[in-house]
Amino acid sequence: MSTNHTSGAGSATHAKKAEIFCQDEARVDWHSKALWMLREKRDRAASSIPEWEQLRELGSQLKLHTLTHLDQYLEEFEKNCHANGIQVHWAKDGAEHNQIVHKILAEKQVKKLVKSKSMLTEECHLNPYLESHGIEVIDTDLGERIIQLAKQPPSHIVVPAIHMKKEEVGDLFHEKLGTDAGASDPLYLTRAARAHLREQFLSADAAMTGVNMAIADKGAVVVCTNEGNADMGANLPKLQLHSMGIDKIVPNLDSAAVILRTLARNATGQPVTTYSAFYRGPQTDGEMHIIIVDNGRTDMLQDKILAESLKCIRCGGCLNTCPVYRRSGGYSYNYTIPGPIGIAVGAQADDTNSIPWACTLCGSCSYVCPTKVPLDKIIHHHRRLKAKAGKLPYGKRSYMPLVGNFMASETMLNCSMSVARTALRILPGAVLKPFSGAWGKYRELPIAPKSSFETWFNKNRGQ
Amino acid sequence: MKIALFIPCLVNQMMPHVGIATVELLEKLGHQVILPKGQTCCGQPMTNSGCFDEAKKTTLKLLNAFKGVECDAIVCPAASCLVAAKENFHEFDTSPEAQAVIDKLYELTEFLHDVAPIKAFNKPFNHKISLQLSCHGIRMLDLATPSEQMGPRTNKVEAVLKAIPSIEIVYPGRHDECCGFGGTFAVDEGAVSAKMGKDKAQAHAETGAKYAVGFDPSCLLHLDGMMRRQKLPIETLHIAEVINAAL
Ligand code: SF4
Repeated sequence: MSTNHTSGAGSATHAKKAEIFCQDEARVDWHSKALWMLREKRDRAASSIPEWEQLRELGSQLKLHTLTHLDQYLEEFEKNCHANGIQVHWAKDGAEHNQIVHKILAEKQVKKLVKSKSMLTEECHLNPYLESHGIEVIDTDLGERIIQLAKQPPSHIVVPAIHMKKEEVGDLFHEKLGTDAGASDPLYLTRAARAHLREQFLSADAAMTGVNMAIADKGAVVVCTNEGNADMGANLPKLQLHSMGIDKIVPNLDSAAVILRTLARNATGQPVTTYSAFYRGPQTDGEMHIIIVDNGRTDMLQDKILAESLKCIRCGGCLNTCPVYRRSGGYSYNYTIPGPIGIAVGAQADDTNSIPWACTLCGSCSYVCPTKVPLDKIIHHHRRLKAKAGKLPYGKRSYMPLVGNFMASETMLNCSMSVARTALRILPGAVLKPFSGAWGKYRELPIAPKSSFETWFNKNRGQ
Repeated sequence: MKIALFIPCLVNQMMPHVGIATVELLEKLGHQVILPKGQTCCGQPMTNSGCFDEAKKTTLKLLNAFKGVECDAIVCPAASCLVAAKENFHEFDTSPEAQAVIDKLYELTEFLHDVAPIKAFNKPFNHKISLQLSCHGIRMLDLATPSEQMGPRTNKVEAVLKAIPSIEIVYPGRHDECCGFGGTFAVDEGAVSAKMGKDKAQAHAETGAKYAVGFDPSCLLHLDGMMRRQKLPIETLHIAEVINAAL
């Protein structure tokens, strides 16, 4: 999993980064509300189809089935791609993926590449790699273009610039695209971005997209966007590339249909993405390449609990519902993918070892997920793996054995709690607060009772 | 019925009134209540931190306190601890004796809804209450259908409480969003935990209810600290206290 490191990002714990994000409470409220609106739209969309829960179950089963027969389906996919005139490449990690992409582009002397939404290329850090080899990379989804211009990584997997307010986008566009100073009207800004992107499409030598699904029995890939930019890209230049993780494979069109029905509904509340394009061969005189990437996924499959995170279809629903993500922002997770699914697939790459604890285990994500990824169980499991590896954050390694012994002893627990209750009743809060850490910093201390329940019971119901 | 109480450490040490209300209400309903000795904690603070080795001694101590105790049910007025106890008992002891204990475990609401429903309440509760649907109770014990799930809905908490004369039941906005307690999360992730608690406390207060009522003492303790810090005109009550007051 060492290949999954997000360079330089893992320097502070999630709690530290979240605390900084929380200092601007108005922004936290705005961020939380914007994402909650997506959750509400999702609820309306999901409730509009009576078979929603069956679709979730189907989605979960078909992904599990495919993941347990992965070799078979990937081979079938490769064979059918070849029959369709598509060239297939295999990459064991991000570095190999980037080299393959570069080799294809270099052969055709590509100077400019237009790219459409792909978290995988973010995971592999493709952009800086290609740029260091003299190839210009233009991200063409509006949100991705915004953060690319701002030189930031995505903060959400579906709405990557969700952390930026429209005024901030206006300032950015003024500086980079020459829009009017102070303009923040979304329609005006979108039009300006469209015009700018059109030039990029027309002057690009090659196009690259991510893959939402790869259909084994057809040798085809499905790409979903709302702006049609993947299609603009793929249909203009003669060279098209598609990068996919091994987990994107589904057996056939019927199974793709199940996922298409839940993907957009769970992401933004739309019945289906505006453009869901199926690519099953190169243009006339063109070339189509598919790069299939492992990058730690086979390792993940070895662990029965972690393996289920590969059922994910990247709808972003778990991020929108997560009360912690909404209040700590996408950059606090030390990984390209934030939120619950980011913890599930990125915990091992986090050198602060803190992200599995960026969760209250409330379980909302597992219920929201259209393929029933058991996110809370996976996160809990990551904590256990970290503990086993001696990598506990927040001093847990030193104090947990003490807590363990303390809780197992009635005498110790009763004596010290009786002291604590007395202290809480007698000493003024101001004296106690500094000793009670984060609890007293943000909340009033509990009002302590005189004695324990057990004492009351023995006295009043004497056994 | 003969009921053995499972009183988690937090209730025993910091919120005895929840335990007392539980005893009183069960007795009013005609049950015999016993308190098996030697209970400390379910091990949740350790297992939720990933520290299973450290949790073993504590968990088994609790399990042993119930092994061989003659009773019809083991009832706990704390959903999160109940869920943790069930899971941790399974984790550390797979014997039939352990299974016998696990099979008798009920959270208080669950017991009053599924096992021994209350026939009638004697007294009114003349207040508006805002229900706190804490996560583990709804998403792991099915006390209510979580808002993420589609299809038919159940709500055992409301079903039990709404039979109380003149009670008015309302819900905060984002009604089943987590309050941010999360055990050690409240300390490790102080800023986010506090913001979640603040939002939740505010949402309860905005309903105009006099009490925020819930089934999970730990969430209530956290919300209570938040409500007093924010000086909100609302207080927390445990569901046992409301039921006890109406019997
Ligand atoms: S884990 Fe589930 S909810 Fe989260 S992004 Fe993946 S599919 Fe969507």
